[in-house]
Amino acid sequence: MTISIRGTQQITPGVARKRLTARRLIVTLGVLLLLIIVMIVAATVIGSEHVSIDAIIKIVTGRGADVTPEERVIFAEIRLPRVLMAVVVGAALSVAGAAYQALLRNPLADPYILGVSTGAALGAIAAIVFAESLAVSRPLAAFVGAVLTLTIVSILGRNRQGGSAERLILAGVIVNAFLSSLVIFLVTESGSRQRSVISWLVGYLGGEPGLLPVVAAFIFAGILVVFANARSLNLLMMGEEDALALGVEVRRVKIAVYLAASLITGAAVAVSGVIGFVGLIIPHAIRLAGGSDNRLVVPASALVGGAFLLVADTVARTVIAPRELHIGVITALIGAPAFIYLLRRTS
Amino acid sequence: MLAVLTWSACVSKTAAPAGTRPFIDEIGRTILVKPEPQRIVSLAPSITETLFALGLGDRIVGVTSYCDYPAEAATKEKVGDTQRPSIERIIALKTDLVIASTASQLQQFVHSLEEVGTPVYVSDPKGLDGVIESIAKIGELTGTTFKAHELTTDLRNRLDNLQSRLSGAERPRVLCLLASNPLITIGAKSFITDLINRAGGRSISDDLAGDYPQYSLETAVAKRPEVIFLEMGDPDFPARLRATPAGRSGRVFHIDDNLLVRPGPRIVDGLEEMAHKLHPNVFGSQ
Repeated sequence: MTISIRGTQQITPGVARKRLTARRLIVTLGVLLLLIIVMIVAATVIGSEHVSIDAIIKIVTGRGADVTPEERVIFAEIRLPRVLMAVVVGAALSVAGAAYQALLRNPLADPYILGVSTGAALGAIAAIVFAESLAVSRPLAAFVGAVLTLTIVSILGRNRQGGSAERLILAGVIVNAFLSSLVIFLVTESGSRQRSVISWLVGYLGGEPGLLPVVAAFIFAGILVVFANARSLNLLMMGEEDALALGVEVRRVKIAVYLAASLITGAAVAVSGVIGFVGLIIPHAIRLAGGSDNRLVVPASALVGGAFLLVADTVARTVIAPRELHIGVITALIGAPAFIYLLRRTS
Repeated sequence: MLAVLTWSACVSKTAAPAGTRPFIDEIGRTILVKPEPQRIVSLAPSITETLFALGLGDRIVGVTSYCDYPAEAATKEKVGDTQRPSIERIIALKTDLVIASTASQLQQFVHSLEEVGTPVYVSDPKGLDGVIESIAKIGELTGTTFKAHELTTDLRNRLDNLQSRLSGAERPRVLCLLASNPLITIGAKSFITDLINRAGGRSISDDLAGDYPQYSLETAVAKRPEVIFLEMGDPDFPARLRATPAGRSGRVFHIDDNLLVRPGPRIVDGLEEMAHKLHPNVFGSQ
């Protein structure tokens, strides 16, 4: 890994090689927004079953008297929620990754390295395996798992002088390793539910359509919190002392961003399972393409991350239809070459 | 004397130790086994069920931790689970016959057991007829040929009976789910697809490659299944499948998948249960 956030410490607003003006920010985000809207529309037209555009328009505009009930369920209850879920989860994981990378000044930081995803997975899997005695819904258990893990990692990551980025990441790695072994233990003990458990570990975006509005609102709020602190994050990336000297309320910013990033990760993993690669790669891709100013990186990560996961999931549900591929396979297959291309082009 | 025999069995596998006979197992290996083995270890739930059905309960000295049927299986010594049995435990039990199933993928383990001179019979039933033939062979192997004949004749009669009662009946479209979030269904080559056919139904996913593919919810709705079978341990019925004919008419059944995935004598119970759910009119019960 040759890219390093440390290398971007000099790249602060005003001295960046590409100065981030309000105009450039708005134009970039506007183009990305337009792009993702086009992609959402395109993705709702394709699926394992054919629903005519005519029928889709009738369903959307509420004039679907002559649409078959199957077409209505396929479009409105299966395909559309899944498409939107892909966008929301992709945005959440990417923004969380961008936030952790800036906050911890570590290019490898993402929701996985801090154990949050595995904690969520453990919660969900426990809810599946102990379904009889533990009457907790899967998403709720996942969310509780994420929040508990976050708390434990934060406590372990703190020493008498307060927290340090390295210590927090180390604590995350260790907690992650511990939780992973618990996950494997539960998988071996899951008996006839092993298939559900393993499917959950490789991610699935079509599972919880009813939770989409809640999760989307939650994630949107979290992204706003991170975005509101983007300027302070830019200063933090230069070092905490410098940021303090420049008037950043370091402690408040760190807590707010850390909490927001972890909560949106918990919400995303709760409804989609464990989907790797997005949170790590998307923020780096944005920085490589557009510079390191977090006022651009945060919202652009949300849009590009959402679009990326949407493409990956559309591929997963269509290429071998009516069978489906695991989403994690596609994120890595598309993401790794795309990232290598960006890396080579800019170096 | 015994020590010499064991030693000679290790050194020269061609010369049969006194009191043993060669027997060809279901994957074509020749093993040397006593005519009536007295200390048998079963390495699969289906084998345990077969052995108990053959009246060999007293001669079983070890089973796996997954062997939960019949209830007496719980009283037997556990030699580990199906994937990781303990070779030391099997030897300590003075086992004179181990029966394994190809489903457990224990090639390396079987080889190690052979090295120390313990005969391992590998069972490899293909399809429902294969299950019945396998029961007959295990009867022959364990010196319970007569009991095995009784059992297989009964199973064959029940199959014939089912077939004759279902002849001419309509074949409802069936969706069989092994997991519901995401949907995991059965492909063309799955054993369960064959069972659904014999139970007088037609799996909507019988054109799919693979044994247990992840399945598109859109297609599951579009194919309009008339009956849905859910795996027993899965409490959820996906809400979006309520719009299917099966969901609207309430023909959604939990079915004990241990009856369907274990290639033992109870497979015919599972088949009959399916047939009764698929054809309540024919069998006069719901």
